[in-house]
Amino acid sequence: MAEDGEEKLLATVQHIVKTLGRTDTMTEDILKVFSNYDGRLSLDKLYATRAAAAVAAVAAAGGAGAGEHSVPASPPMPPPPAVPPSVAVMPAVTSLERTVRTLDRQISQFVTMDRLIWADSADADAFLEAVDDLIGTVQELDAAGTNRGLLDRADELLSRCMARLEDEFRSLIERPDDVAPAAPGGFASDESEEEDYDADDGYGDEPIPIAKPVSDFDVVIDALPPGSVSDVHQIARRMVDAGFGRECAEAYAAARRGFIDESVARLGIRARTIDEVHSLPWEELEFDIARWIPAFKMVFRILIPSERRLCDRVFDGLAPYGDLAFVAAVRTQALQLISFGDAVSAASRAPERLFRVIDMYEAVRDLLPDLDPVFADPYSAALRAEVSAVCNTLGSSIKGIFMELENLIRRDPARVSVPGGGIHPITRYVMNYLRAACGSRQTLEEVMEGDLGAVGGAAIAVDPDRPTSSLAVHIAWIMDVLHKNLETKSKIYRDPPLASIFLMNNGKYIIHKVNDSELGVLLGDEWMKQMMSRVRRWSLEYQRGAWAKVMSVLQTGGPGIGSLPAKALLQKLRMFNGYLEEICAIQSEWVIADEQLREDVRAAITDSVKPAYMGLISRLKSSPEAAQDLFIKHSPEDVEARIQHLFEGVSK
Amino acid sequence: MPLTEHQGSSSSPSPFSFGRSLLSLRRDHVTMPSGEEADLEAFQRHFAASLGELLPGEVEGGGGGGGGGEEILSVAWIRRLLEAFILCQEEFRVFVAQARRRGALPAAGEKLVVEFHERAVKALDVCNAARDGVDQVRRWERLADIAASVLLAPGEIHEGQLRRARKALSDLAVLLVDDTAASGTGGVASFLASHRNRSFGRARASPSRASLTGATSATSSSHFRSLSWSVSRVWSASRQLQAIGAGLAAPRAHEAGLAAPVYAMGCVLHLVAWALVAAVPCPDRSTALQAHHLPAAPPRAAFPWAPPLLTLQERLAEEGKRKDRRNSCGLLKEIHVLEKSTQKLADAIDAAPIPLFGDREADVREAAAELAAVCAAMRDGLEPLERQVREVFHRIVRSRVEGLDSSMHNAD
Repeated sequence: MAEDGEEKLLATVQHIVKTLGRTDTMTEDILKVFSNYDGRLSLDKLYATRAAAAVAAVAAAGGAGAGEHSVPASPPMPPPPAVPPSVAVMPAVTSLERTVRTLDRQISQFVTMDRLIWADSADADAFLEAVDDLIGTVQELDAAGTNRGLLDRADELLSRCMARLEDEFRSLIERPDDVAPAAPGGFASDESEEEDYDADDGYGDEPIPIAKPVSDFDVVIDALPPGSVSDVHQIARRMVDAGFGRECAEAYAAARRGFIDESVARLGIRARTIDEVHSLPWEELEFDIARWIPAFKMVFRILIPSERRLCDRVFDGLAPYGDLAFVAAVRTQALQLISFGDAVSAASRAPERLFRVIDMYEAVRDLLPDLDPVFADPYSAALRAEVSAVCNTLGSSIKGIFMELENLIRRDPARVSVPGGGIHPITRYVMNYLRAACGSRQTLEEVMEGDLGAVGGAAIAVDPDRPTSSLAVHIAWIMDVLHKNLETKSKIYRDPPLASIFLMNNGKYIIHKVNDSELGVLLGDEWMKQMMSRVRRWSLEYQRGAWAKVMSVLQTGGPGIGSLPAKALLQKLRMFNGYLEEICAIQSEWVIADEQLREDVRAAITDSVKPAYMGLISRLKSSPEAAQDLFIKHSPEDVEARIQHLFEGVSK
Repeated sequence: MPLTEHQGSSSSPSPFSFGRSLLSLRRDHVTMPSGEEADLEAFQRHFAASLGELLPGEVEGGGGGGGGGEEILSVAWIRRLLEAFILCQEEFRVFVAQARRRGALPAAGEKLVVEFHERAVKALDVCNAARDGVDQVRRWERLADIAASVLLAPGEIHEGQLRRARKALSDLAVLLVDDTAASGTGGVASFLASHRNRSFGRARASPSRASLTGATSATSSSHFRSLSWSVSRVWSASRQLQAIGAGLAAPRAHEAGLAAPVYAMGCVLHLVAWALVAAVPCPDRSTALQAHHLPAAPPRAAFPWAPPLLTLQERLAEEGKRKDRRNSCGLLKEIHVLEKSTQKLADAIDAAPIPLFGDREADVREAAAELAAVCAAMRDGLEPLERQVREVFHRIVRSRVEGLDSSMHNAD
């Protein structure tokens, strides 16, 4: 593993820790999980920044305590009487009565305790043991059905136990650190390798970290220390055993919500109504989107899967209460994030939004397959469906924005002409837009195909790089709309040759942009051929329109026709001079933006005008009536030079 | 063009009448106004029929509404209301598409279409709030069901079960109090008031919590801190309803074309949004009801759909004013029954001596059975309702996304 890659990962991990860890002990635990992640991170590396003193304290604390805590050294209560494990033989009623009385005494002490029972693991163990006995006793009494009074008492006792267990349960989840670090043996039922790190100062001295882009989401966060998880699971098991599973699930969800809410808030996300999103200026909304995308990934790739894992561990073997609890815990925040996607989709179809919406769509689409294991149970199926739905909506929105581009082009009015017949801003805008859109052509194609139902698994591999793909057809269509719009715009030039120049310029620009990007692949050779022949046609139209009268003036008749009188030839020369002045005066202001095209057009004009002009002059010179002092204003080279100065867009 | 002429003569609406008008339109393409008129008439007739079907059976039996048997503001009725809205929206979409195809939609008409869609977008937040509200009600149901099912377990009722049921009810009471407070209702229903400060919940059971958090009373309410709305905290249902209804005015007689359908859609949108807010808990709900943010009444004679719409509005307003419902968390019939049954069960438990026997036990069981039945009905009804609220939401979004508000979409 390259060193810098590792650094990046470490930065990522520390960022996540900063973002989501609420307390130092949780931070410790999260770090621990990360440290096992793929073997790339070692504890040493992660703790390298820590104060040596803290490490020393750790070593001191870790050595002694980490043994087995399940049997407290000195139980504060008299040891509970052994309850027969089997009910096959009816125990004597008096013995059961004695059991209940003992349990009552024992349990009452716990239930009225002024501090958390789980603050002391020995107390916790003793209480759990008593609860187990009580559950067994109630079952026995219930099965026997002979001593209603005793069953009543036991039942009542049980419900008091459950209420207390629920409170302990919530406290352990909400404030695990109130409990855990109190005593060295806080992690009551931890595995033996569990070590208790003293997280006293943590990152306190470090400057506030700048959030680095998170690129690796394959991590899990444990918000509770493993010890707490185990404690909480013990309680959940008792509650479910006693038939209090639903209460337990409710309590769990209520206890977790605070953490989840805060986690999302820390990602810089605040709830926005659809109305707000709708009326927000784009710059601000863009900012929100930029925050939403990483937050969405963090929540659906890390936070929610982590919640699922925690829930699965707390309710291990206690289905379906875990599923119930999980959905109730994450639902609101999940829906709120999803809702933003809907809001952006519904807000506006302005073309500049395309790229941000594509980003959003891709973020959602890419994580869809990973959600399946997280939202696999029937209770969370609705959440899974909501993520799918917002993915579809964003996809449709992308499609809609693309359509809107088409409308905008079509509606763009031909009010002011570009001076000199140059490239129209709309041509630049559309071509650069499409070029940029091509960068996301895989996604665009997926969306255009409209096969959004398929987004469940890996999207069907569509090949956008063919002129018959939906995207290609659509882009060809947009080009067509652009072409029509430009033709309309060309009509506002009063000079038809200038209209041809305008079309030529824009056509050439389009060709250039298409050749210069993946658009060429999409539009195909056929389209390109057609476009080039159009530009040629416009060029010819220009030449014909602008130079027709010049050429006709230079006509001196074919070789077979009798020669014109010199007077007529002189007249033609005068007219030519006049026309040339006029054309040069006007057309030097015209523009041909593309250098090559400019050269080509000039060359074409020179090629047809210069020989004809030379022909006229030579006729004139060879004419018998020609005056000796024949004044030729322009040499053919002069004419050529004048032509070479056309289309430079210089105003007089 | 007096629209009232069509009102009486309309035959029973058939699903084909729209197609028929299209056919006749194609036949004589020259006389465009008649095609438009026919479309408009068909649209308004369907609209009136859809609304008429929502009228409860006992009111105005003649209006062509069978009532369908559902009580107004029951889950089933709200679902039918949403269904009707979806239908109307679909008809409206077709109507606009036809007008465009005919080229009969001038810029002013397009502006009206855009206006409606802007209005519809404002209903999206109401849909989201209603979805959360429905989920909230489902949470109540879960707690109520714990209480009911505990007491319905086979065998005799023990003190432990009573204790457990009481605890579930007190948790429920906390939720209801919170939600009622969030809804902005001033008073609290008697059940809530009597249960609010009852200490059989955890406050007494666990001094530890109290000592940890410092305040006993805060413990239980923060414990089941209820509303985590996915809409933002400052959002207000009543303000939203006002926004939806803003500028909704009946078109004048000379305004032909889309003016009437757009107005009709605006009215029904406002009505649906109001009904949702009224039915389920949502932030600042009670202001919406107190201030009578009902749509301004359309002129009864001008539109064939006005009478059924007015009747619906009146009925809804009446429900909101009923004394026993005024302080409720929602006008949804099932919520009312849940509150009543919960109250009854709480009373029965309070009156029960320990050990339970004879009539007292029968009372408790009866109340529990009643509550269990309510819960079962809620479980069956609320999920489809939530789905349908989403359906409305998605349809509104879709019509935006697909550019149905844009004139240029199909033009060429």
